[in-house]
Amino acid sequence: MKADRINRCLSLVSMKKNYSQYLLPVILALAGLTFLVLARGAVFPFILAAALAYILNPVVKYFEARGIKRSYAVTGLYLTAGALIFFVIYLLFHSLSFEIEALQQSWPAYAQRIQKFLTNLNTTLINNYPFTAALKMDEKLVRYLEAVPPFLLSLLPALALMFAVPFITFFMLLGGSSLIDYLLDHIPAKHAELVLHIASRIDSSLGNYLRGILTEAFIIFLIAFIGLIALNLNYAAFIAILIGVSSLVPYLGAIVGAVVSSIVAYFQFEAFMPILKILIFFAGLRFADDWVIQPYVMKKAVKLNPAVILFALFAGGELGGIWGIVFSIPVTCVIKEIVQIAVELQETEFRWKPKPEPTRISIPYT
Amino acid sequence: MFSFFNRLYDKDILFKLVFLKRIRLFEGIKKRSLIHVLENLQERTYLKGETIFTQGDIGRALFLVFSGKIALSRLDSATQKSETIAEVHPGEFFGEMALLEEMPRTATACALEETRVFMLFKVKLESLLFARPKIGVVIALQLAKIMSARLRAYLEKN
Repeated sequence: MKADRINRCLSLVSMKKNYSQYLLPVILALAGLTFLVLARGAVFPFILAAALAYILNPVVKYFEARGIKRSYAVTGLYLTAGALIFFVIYLLFHSLSFEIEALQQSWPAYAQRIQKFLTNLNTTLINNYPFTAALKMDEKLVRYLEAVPPFLLSLLPALALMFAVPFITFFMLLGGSSLIDYLLDHIPAKHAELVLHIASRIDSSLGNYLRGILTEAFIIFLIAFIGLIALNLNYAAFIAILIGVSSLVPYLGAIVGAVVSSIVAYFQFEAFMPILKILIFFAGLRFADDWVIQPYVMKKAVKLNPAVILFALFAGGELGGIWGIVFSIPVTCVIKEIVQIAVELQETEFRWKPKPEPTRISIPYT
Repeated sequence: MFSFFNRLYDKDILFKLVFLKRIRLFEGIKKRSLIHVLENLQERTYLKGETIFTQGDIGRALFLVFSGKIALSRLDSATQKSETIAEVHPGEFFGEMALLEEMPRTATACALEETRVFMLFKVKLESLLFARPKIGVVIALQLAKIMSARLRAYLEKN
């Protein structure tokens, strides 16, 4: 009886010991989380830098696997990327800066013309359908048009990020992998296989998606640039860059391209035919994207239902504005993979679902 | 100039490639292509006495011993006694069943000394099979041969 009590006591002590081992990691994690919440303003560039480092890491790993030391691979990548960006900017500089200047000068005139056109449209609408007067569309429109230049100016702080982020990314690329290796070497040995399995599943799913969508955006930028130049449209470089960037968000690229190009074409040619040509071009681009580019480029990426994509975009916008929209699809990919892994773990670890026999195993080995 | 290239080049990689060339599972893969195999392997060090996996755990990776020594032991359900069934040395591998089906492990693996292993996960093998079929097919064929040989040896022993 006494021995039994001692045994129970000992088991309680060992249970307490079991819990106490998690005390330090939990305190450290909570302290880290609190610090991140308190300093959340400063965290954002680091999230962007980590995302960029994640995208660039396969390039560094490619050279690393071929025997180039990491520090040299990262430095080489930065020098090459720097030279390439400098070269592209130098090439684009004249046309682009000229285009922006021209846009700046002609924007008030354009705005006035858009306003006039829409006011006329509104008057016709009100004349024909008087109830539309209650909507006060003209007032709303003027407010929107006035808001365009301040909105463009508000994007300027993003330029500061453009310098800070690559700088942080450089150091993340240099030291990040050794930190991850350190963490992997120090997770409890028994769980290492499962943790690495989950990490590699998420990594390959997210990596395939990001590589796919970046390649797709670049191809769409090239096609749009060549097409718009062939159609002799003003601001071709500017619009093509806009289309390339916006095609990172599913469905947005061709829509933005069609709308912006049609407006520019309306003011440039003042005729219906060029607008029709542009609309046909972008409809073609949309179909080419769906039928040719995506099946080829995104064949290894996660398949997401369009309804899920739209929900993710709205939810991302609701939670984090423009950056929320940018990050919504990659985050959805990760969530989808985690849900899949969770279901599989339930099925395998807890034997929820017996595995079907691949063949009749009762046939003996002969 | 020569010393600069020496500093630039990581000799560890060459050493690892030579090591992979000796592994039976990768027999027939060109040294140049072994780089792709190496890219898909995950390295980890286990300290002396650490358990790598326990009998009954769901297996998800194959383990290649790079350095050190691993003991495989099996628990006899009748006697409830564990006995060592094999020792795995550098250049050898174990846990290959996990590459084919995610089923419970049939033995417990424990590091007898500080051991560095390469892990090949099922997901990575699948991506190799589809992205680089020339390499994937060799591994799949070798895996089938090894499984067959091990099964034959098991049957002959019993």
